[in-house]
Amino acid sequence: MTTPNKLINDLRNLPATVHEVDYRQWGYHLDVLLEAGRVRGFAGMLRAHRFYLVFVSAVHTAPAIEIIYQFACYSRQCRILGRAAVTDNGTMPTISDIYDGANWHERETRDMFGVLFTGHPYLEPLLLPEEEADRKPLLKNGSAVKAADRIRRPNQAGIGTAEPHQGQERDQ
Amino acid sequence: MTLGTKNQDRHSFYLNMGPQHPSTHGVLRVLLEMEGEYILEPEPVIGYGHRMQEKIGESLTWNAFMPNTARIDYLSALMYNHGYVGLIERMTGIEAPRRAEYIRVITSELNRIASHLLWLGAFLLDLGAFTPIMYTFDDREQILDILEDVTGSRLTYCYYRVGGVSRDVDGTFVEGTRAFIRRLRSRFPMYDDLVTNNIIFIKRVKDIAQFTPDMAMRYGATGPILRSTGIGYDIRRNEPYSVYPEFDFDIPVGTTGDCMDVYLVRVREMEQSLRIIEQALDSLPEGPCMTKVPRRLKLPQGDASFSVEAARGELSYYLVSDGSDVPYRLKIRPPSFSNLSLLPELCRNMLLSDLVMALGALDLVIPEIDR
Repeated sequence: MTTPNKLINDLRNLPATVHEVDYRQWGYHLDVLLEAGRVRGFAGMLRAHRFYLVFVSAVHTAPAIEIIYQFACYSRQCRILGRAAVTDNGTMPTISDIYDGANWHERETRDMFGVLFTGHPYLEPLLLPEEEADRKPLLKNGSAVKAADRIRRPNQAGIGTAEPHQGQERDQ
Repeated sequence: MTLGTKNQDRHSFYLNMGPQHPSTHGVLRVLLEMEGEYILEPEPVIGYGHRMQEKIGESLTWNAFMPNTARIDYLSALMYNHGYVGLIERMTGIEAPRRAEYIRVITSELNRIASHLLWLGAFLLDLGAFTPIMYTFDDREQILDILEDVTGSRLTYCYYRVGGVSRDVDGTFVEGTRAFIRRLRSRFPMYDDLVTNNIIFIKRVKDIAQFTPDMAMRYGATGPILRSTGIGYDIRRNEPYSVYPEFDFDIPVGTTGDCMDVYLVRVREMEQSLRIIEQALDSLPEGPCMTKVPRRLKLPQGDASFSVEAARGELSYYLVSDGSDVPYRLKIRPPSFSNLSLLPELCRNMLLSDLVMALGALDLVIPEIDR
């Protein structure tokens, strides 16, 4: 099993911006900011580190929709939140060939936000009926869309001094 | 994943299982491409009960959404309550009194047992065994009576509050719960005789629908189906919340991950839940069950996540706030969603009659998948 420090270094080499955050306040340990092009590398690396996929979803923010990935691990306490803004034409590479479970999560995200996942094998409506497929119900209207820095913690950019989390190895 | 692309070189036909099939336990449709009695490709079709809970979550104040949490998975309503209040408490820094945390653990575990008892009866009913559900509903009824006394509802509880629970428990609750523990313990040997050692049951579930740790990781499966593969992953232990670290309990695991192991894991989990309840009743602290919470409480800007172990696996709430009292985004991650998504891989080339077992083992609650 890899140590958290090795994982953090691997993530930083992706490259990605990695913040260690206080689990008691945030409910996760690592906040990872990615570019859309790095998402597949991110998922592949977490697969190699034996993480499982908790969910894929999105947040409608300005300037672009952000896709949220949450991963956790069966063998030690470590929860990772990855976020990546969609590309200029509103797409995101799929990770459904790396994590099969992402298949449905990405279909749901396409239903709710209209994000197209490139390379997805079957991007059909999942929760919405076919005739409502373009409704995109979770998109916000006009002034309701907040800029990304309005939905982040005020000090989020400067984090990194938070106490390092204790990754507990557990016997299986 | 190939709706409408029929396998050309085989004599296959389509069969719709559901949306009103009794063994799908909710409005789930499984589109099956069949060859004789064998399934070539099963495709779950979901969304019939979609209520847009996440949109409701970002249209109401965080407090007004509370009753909705119980209606997502109506069989583990208290655990959905627990995850939501835990999330808001984490964001606002409010701490519930210790007595409230103990009451939460006791009632959540009662709710877990009620959910598992319903599953046990329904799973066997799917097999064609009509008798056990009569017994499990009899036991479950006792729990519903106990919970009705303190929460005011029998199914869709809205009992937890940010900062505590809405009503304190009394001596009647404690006595009633202790009597129930004695009762259920005395019933387990009967269930063993009736079900576990029944040769027809064993023949139907042994080596059927084998889950593997690798499959679980790729699909994000959690809960009893994950533990049946031998991975002892339980949020109550691996990412402790509330006062769970104070109790002594085991995480039952299986070895082969077949339907028999899933069955055994769930039955043993009920015994462990009884242990937790017993310890919590023994050391139930005195004091208030609710702390003071401002009437209009704004959620600080930023995001947070909170996970609990619901009856079917990991339930995760993820909330993004813009600093007002209405969440900017509320993501609800129900366990059954990921658990059901592995069905095509699990049930390819399986007999139709075994698919019923596999669906039963997943313990699906469709409204939580559709949300």
